[in-house]
Amino acid sequence: MYLYSNIIGSFVLSKELKVIDSLEFEDIEDYIHKYQFENKLQQKHKNLQPLPDYKEREMLVLFKEDKYMEKFYKRNLELAKHKLKLSVTEDQLIIQAIANTQELDRVINLLSKRLREWYSLYYPELAEYMTHHEKFAEMVATKTRKELLQGKTMGADLDEVHVKQMTLLAKQILGTFELQKQHKEYLKYIMEKYCPNILELAGTTIGAKLLELSKGLKRLAMLPASTIQLLGAEKALFRHLKTGARSPKYGAIFHHPIVQNAPRSDRGKAARVLADKLTLCARLDYFKGEFKAPEYKKLLEEKFNVTKD
Amino acid sequence: MSQRIKAHALFEIYQEARGKRIFTQSILPGKIHFMERTMRDKGQEYREFDPTRSKLAAMIMKGCTNIGIRKNDKILYLGASHGFTCSFVSDMVGKEGIVFGVDPAPRVMRDLIFLAEKRHNIVPMLENANHPEEYKDKICEVDVVFQDVAQKNQEEIFIKNCKAFLKEGGYGLLSIKARSIDVRRKPKDIFIEIRDRLDKVFKVIDYRLLDPFEMDHAMIIIKKQ
Repeated sequence: MYLYSNIIGSFVLSKELKVIDSLEFEDIEDYIHKYQFENKLQQKHKNLQPLPDYKEREMLVLFKEDKYMEKFYKRNLELAKHKLKLSVTEDQLIIQAIANTQELDRVINLLSKRLREWYSLYYPELAEYMTHHEKFAEMVATKTRKELLQGKTMGADLDEVHVKQMTLLAKQILGTFELQKQHKEYLKYIMEKYCPNILELAGTTIGAKLLELSKGLKRLAMLPASTIQLLGAEKALFRHLKTGARSPKYGAIFHHPIVQNAPRSDRGKAARVLADKLTLCARLDYFKGEFKAPEYKKLLEEKFNVTKD
Repeated sequence: MSQRIKAHALFEIYQEARGKRIFTQSILPGKIHFMERTMRDKGQEYREFDPTRSKLAAMIMKGCTNIGIRKNDKILYLGASHGFTCSFVSDMVGKEGIVFGVDPAPRVMRDLIFLAEKRHNIVPMLENANHPEEYKDKICEVDVVFQDVAQKNQEEIFIKNCKAFLKEGGYGLLSIKARSIDVRRKPKDIFIEIRDRLDKVFKVIDYRLLDPFEMDHAMIIIKKQ
């Protein structure tokens, strides 16, 4: 006699594969702890053997009857929900946070440009000499034109009603800046626990971006250094492979200070070495190794004479 | 009023009396899942099967003579994704049939679960089609295997699953994306190579390029003997 369990229940089968006894599962918890049911059946019936592999195929035919379909549906739906619940990892949280940070960048640019145009009707000289978006928004939001005025202005003298809309927009922009800062602090907080080596060597933005592009730490740790070097340069890479155009030298790591501060002729080399060390960092983090990133960072900085600024 | 919808040459597929659009008879009248157009005729609701969004519909539009899906069939659908094609296959098999939708990605599984809660003949399974041994205790033997996964070893996955779950005389539908096998080779060479290799294991009964609807895709239909 054989013992066989699937998602519906545990079954005792005769030599001819007829169901003699069965214990059906009530919900998905039972399936996860199915050994309890198997033990019960084993005590009841003596000499139970597990089903040999070559007979499993026949079992699939046995369960093709319509009465089992409802159960297949219910149990699998529960199991899929259960697995979905367990599938959320730090990776996904980091990916969402970095994606939103980049989206906010775009939003800030858009709103700031509009604020400049709008406020220039009232006080054009300020937009001219203050090019920094955040400081500009802060000035508009907190100070009146009288406080900011230096000499005369060619802007129109608008009523309080009109100016109020501009100050409201400026406050909104400041809020967006604040949100972005919060996102970055949050990213730093989770990455310190989850992938300290990558955080140390690549920094918050680039590290998170690498995780986003590779869709998780596990895959990042499995990638070769040459792929990590070109993450984010896929368009250029495939253009190179397809048409034979020049190959890209760097992807997302282009904005890293080591690559940025290297002389132009050495940038490709710097990107290659940095990608190599980042690969090691990713593997250290994934397999819970020691904290070695500062060592690598020092090595790279010496190699490419990066002065900290 | 004259008849607006008539039966297509294939089973469970309908088409306009005038025109080329194809439809399936909805098992859930009044519910639209993917913004598809619907048509009412004689108290029945029909959902339009858009060939630019589904490779199975593209295959039908290309003039395939037998897709192997009948009412009350049990179907294993690998690469179910959000469930667009899956919902039409579930229309075709009807309430008595069943569609096992397998997909490894949690993001699309979320959408598939919401679909399955409305359509009780779709079974969502968060599994990797590359490892059939992991879900062999969760399904039964099936009449049709439909595979649409963009993987490098899609042919190998297909053969594995057909051997494990497909009944004798059942049909297997494989949609091939040439670009996920090799971007540099000509798509047609890849299709012919795969067709010949499949022919040694099963019997290939149909092979078509899905050209105007899907770039660099082909579909092969096999019969297990």
